[in-house]
Amino acid sequence: MLRRAHWTARAALAAALCLSPAFAPAAEAPRLSGELDAKGLADAIGKQKGKVVLVNFWATWCVPCRQEFPDLVRLEKAYRGRGLAVIGVSTDLAKDLPAVEKFLAGTRPDFPNYRKKSGGDDQNFIESVDGKWGGELPYSVVYARDGKKARVLSGMQSYADFEKAVSALLK
Amino acid sequence: MKVLRLAFCLVALAAAAAGTALADGPAIGAAAPNFQLTAIDGKSFSLADAEKQNNAVVLVFIATKCPYSNAYNDRMKQMAEDFAKKGVLFVGINSNSTEPVEEVKEHAKSHGFGFTILKDPGNKVADLYDAKRTPEVFIVDKDGKVRYHGRIDENYEDAAKVTSPDLKNAVDALLSGQAISKAETKAFGCTIKRA
Repeated sequence: MLRRAHWTARAALAAALCLSPAFAPAAEAPRLSGELDAKGLADAIGKQKGKVVLVNFWATWCVPCRQEFPDLVRLEKAYRGRGLAVIGVSTDLAKDLPAVEKFLAGTRPDFPNYRKKSGGDDQNFIESVDGKWGGELPYSVVYARDGKKARVLSGMQSYADFEKAVSALLK
Repeated sequence: MKVLRLAFCLVALAAAAAGTALADGPAIGAAAPNFQLTAIDGKSFSLADAEKQNNAVVLVFIATKCPYSNAYNDRMKQMAEDFAKKGVLFVGINSNSTEPVEEVKEHAKSHGFGFTILKDPGNKVADLYDAKRTPEVFIVDKDGKVRYHGRIDENYEDAAKVTSPDLKNAVDALLSGQAISKAETKAFGCTIKRA
């Protein structure tokens, strides 16, 4: 009787340990959601209609991009319940794909990230996003719930900057 | 009270106007804002003087740490030599607050830059031109007008595969009296780190 109770307790402990986060299989690292061109980006934004959408353009070689990215990960977690959607677009070249995947695995964004499709002239892509954008990175564009462009953020932003840009639109 | 309110409004309008000017930079065909800076070799540089002494002046905002700018180091070096033969002065400007003059000197030395390089303390010239990224080019003609603004070419990755040598085409067109077909171009680049 005692022995059965002992094994039952051990089994319960083992089950509890298996169910605990420490023993759960590690969540798969976030990966690129694919590649897109100007039309693909417009479609991705269009699918989020009704939400405030922040599109962030970044690259692994861009130090300020890497510095601000964790704030975007935090922002998306904090505001997704209020209707914020974040889309990341890496402008890295195809040869830097391993660096892109490594960066995403390290920063673990819960939002989709795409790589700008290779080929063609970058100027066309840049102008399709914003006519006043010169191509400097990082660069973020915020779209209101009606899909209209509401704010552009050139250069590295702080969490407070991002929050300020989206919070008014989320009301 | 009315005088105070009027004064406040005038100051606000002036600030708004100044802000607009800074945000836009010179358009193609507009006068290039004059400036004076000290080169990394200690010599004084005046854009107005350079315009008078050359057929054109190529201003390129560059960086020591930006991969996009560094990808063009060899191309810039070669272009500066080629342009010099045509009476065109090639000038690099470093406006990054994060890159001190000693670092700019070391970078220029290690890459064998023979062209003039200016340090822009407080990014005043970058603000005058509303330059945002590196590399970013402005061509100023003999009359002090901006004739080209944009990239060096479309392929930062591979100089051998360039299909649109925009800066070279613009200089050639300018020197031959032709219209510059692509006077404004864009490319990805590193943000200028302002103070």
